Amino acid sequence: MLLDAVHMEFSPRYHHTADMLLDEQMIIEAAKQNPEHFGPLYDKYYKQIFGYVYQRMDDKDTAFDLTAQVFLKALTNIEKYEYKGVPFASWLYRIAHSEVMQLFRNNSKLRTVNADISDLRNICEEVEEEYMEQYKGILMTVIKDLPEDELQLIELRFFEKRPFKEIAEILNLTETNAKVKLYRILERVKKTLTKTSK
Amino acid sequence: MGTKFNLDRKPVPDDEINSHKDFGELVNKFKKQSIEKARSDVNFLKNKKATYSAIIAGVAVVCTVTYFAVFKKEPPKETANDKIVTTQQQHTTSPENKQNKAFIAPPISKLNVPYTSYKVKAEQGASIKHKSNSKIIIPKKAFVDKQGLDIVGEVEIKYREFHNQADIIASGIPMTYDSAGVQSHFESAGMIDIKGYQNGEPVFINPKKQITVEFSSEHTADKYNMYELDTVAKNWAYLGRDNSLVNKKQLKPNKQSDVKMLEKKESPKAQELQKQIDAIPPKIEAEKITYTQKVNQLPKTIEPNKPSKAIAGRPQFQLEVNYKEFPELQAFKNAVFEVGKENKNYNSKLADITWSSAEVSEGPQKGKNYLLTLKLRERVEKLIVYPALTGADYDKALKSYESKFADYKNLAAKREADEKRLKEEFEAKQTALFEERKKLKEDQVQANIKYWQEQQAKLDEEYSSMGNQEKVVRIFNISRFSIYNSDCPKNLPNDVKINPIYVINEGKSISPSNIYLISHSRNLVYNLPYGQLPYNTNEKYSLCVLAKGKMYLCNKETFSAITTAKQNKIPLTELDANVNDAADLKKAMGI
Repeated sequence: MLLDAVHMEFSPRYHHTADMLLDEQMIIEAAKQNPEHFGPLYDKYYKQIFGYVYQRMDDKDTAFDLTAQVFLKALTNIEKYEYKGVPFASWLYRIAHSEVMQLFRNNSKLRTVNADISDLRNICEEVEEEYMEQYKGILMTVIKDLPEDELQLIELRFFEKRPFKEIAEILNLTETNAKVKLYRILERVKKTLTKTSK
Repeated sequence: MGTKFNLDRKPVPDDEINSHKDFGELVNKFKKQSIEKARSDVNFLKNKKATYSAIIAGVAVVCTVTYFAVFKKEPPKETANDKIVTTQQQHTTSPENKQNKAFIAPPISKLNVPYTSYKVKAEQGASIKHKSNSKIIIPKKAFVDKQGLDIVGEVEIKYREFHNQADIIASGIPMTYDSAGVQSHFESAGMIDIKGYQNGEPVFINPKKQITVEFSSEHTADKYNMYELDTVAKNWAYLGRDNSLVNKKQLKPNKQSDVKMLEKKESPKAQELQKQIDAIPPKIEAEKITYTQKVNQLPKTIEPNKPSKAIAGRPQFQLEVNYKEFPELQAFKNAVFEVGKENKNYNSKLADITWSSAEVSEGPQKGKNYLLTLKLRERVEKLIVYPALTGADYDKALKSYESKFADYKNLAAKREADEKRLKEEFEAKQTALFEERKKLKEDQVQANIKYWQEQQAKLDEEYSSMGNQEKVVRIFNISRFSIYNSDCPKNLPNDVKINPIYVINEGKSISPSNIYLISHSRNLVYNLPYGQLPYNTNEKYSLCVLAKGKMYLCNKETFSAITTAKQNKIPLTELDANVNDAADLKKAMGI
């Protein structure tokens, strides 16, 4: 398993140049002074946050409501945000994750995993197993039964196609730690698939 | 909670997503929420007051104190047992507590370590020597603006260093380190804070460049790691092992040897004075010569010889005398020369001889006697003779003598007076010159003392800034303006834990908002929560606490006495009003 080998096209959303990061910092500082200046950040990240939230649930309206709630929390707490050279998105994703988890704890909404067949193929490729139709169900079962923190890793890496740097920042891990954790999950997945194929 | 798995769900179209975007609504909600929050805060306080009022029955005093603490912001008057309760409640609303929420919160702003500002031409770079001997090396084109474009022109670098426990406390920089959920406290080898600005706007370090700080550290151990303060994660980020120790003996000072060297040096003023001192003896010599010359120029006095009367019966010679050669015999014209008794060789037969020549020369007693040399062929006789007169010649000669002797006496008296005057004049000048030399020597000593004192003060200052310790250079390679340190994490002390009661004047107890346990065995400050106070029995500590914006200290001697006596009442002294900066604080803490 070569976790660094890129067999899939990753999301370009996180790729920020130094200029973009600096522009963002200026906007954040302005928004701290006046909430009206938060607009560009809202525009920039609305779709991404909605995508992240909706990725984890079935109900679209709830996802929109929760997305609004994420931005309200961000605006309320923006004073506490301090720029450290990473995209503002990481901070928003952490808020979004917290809100999603809170929703599942407080309501009977069902935690949902959304993936494409191509995503499952990518996982097989990663564990060096040739994808077979019979693996589809096995993979879906294995993945949805993972503990939340492990499921997050699979989702962020294979279903949302995020680079490790971004995953590490969203989950507040080091890149190495994120890689090691994912490697262990994939090892288990591989064992399950190998066992089934026999 | 079960998990559902959807495969190949239809994506939500962008139009639909965009249709839900409503920034105006977000801002309205935010404003509404802010207003509600403000109201609820007030209600919360009122409800709190009501709640306390309801409970008043048994604890009336406590509630009254709380009311005043919350609404009147006056110091509560409480009993020893009430203090903790009321003050902890107060923490939730006090401005001090709001300040504590800031990640970097200097406890007393006037004590905060100030930045030193340096101007750097971005296109040229610079090597800046900080007052601590640290060096900031900035390469050419090291700065970019927010667009990532090279910055040209003047950039302001704001820089400060933290070397000791006082600096750490004064700066308010958190020194706790969370690693995998385990909290530790930093023992510091030094810390820096560096920022860059152009025209008041922050600038950034060019990603292709690095700024190097050669930090002059007083802590020479090779046990530290490098960290950067992550203000987002509100934790220190580990950068790696500090392997940067170089030039370990770089600044090993030897103050005694430096002082000795200093004392051997003459001050520039003393050197100038020495030239004046050296010029005095020649001046004295010149005066002496002048004096001698003047004395020699005085008229000479020659005492006239008193004529002698010829004594009958003594052998005599009559001589022809050249009076030009012997002017003193002028008065003895027609004189005879009596043979002195000292002439043992004289006999009367000598008078019978007709000598071929007779010469008179100066005798043993100048002006009194003469040497008469008589020659006949090979024979030579020498006689000491005395001139003498007889009869009228003697009277005349005596009269002449008396007149000349009177003149002589007058002249001699005058000469004596003149000599005396010249001598006094010379001696006065000589004394003046000796005095001048003495004064110059005293001035020289004073000039040297002053010079040495000045130089020693400079040396003291230099050594003071060095901390009089061996120093090493620690290298910070900086790619981002931030706060960096070279530290190693330590656990809280755990030998003994006490429940402290902090008391100030007249035994009044206080509840501090910040408690700093200062290790005097390491460069380490434990920022502790209000509660149990831990310490190790084999280490020296002092204590610094902050309560209601005032700082109080318990020095290491007192702290040691408390721990030895196993007491928990900790007497505190308010920080002197004259403590105006971190250096003053360091002195006050006895570091």
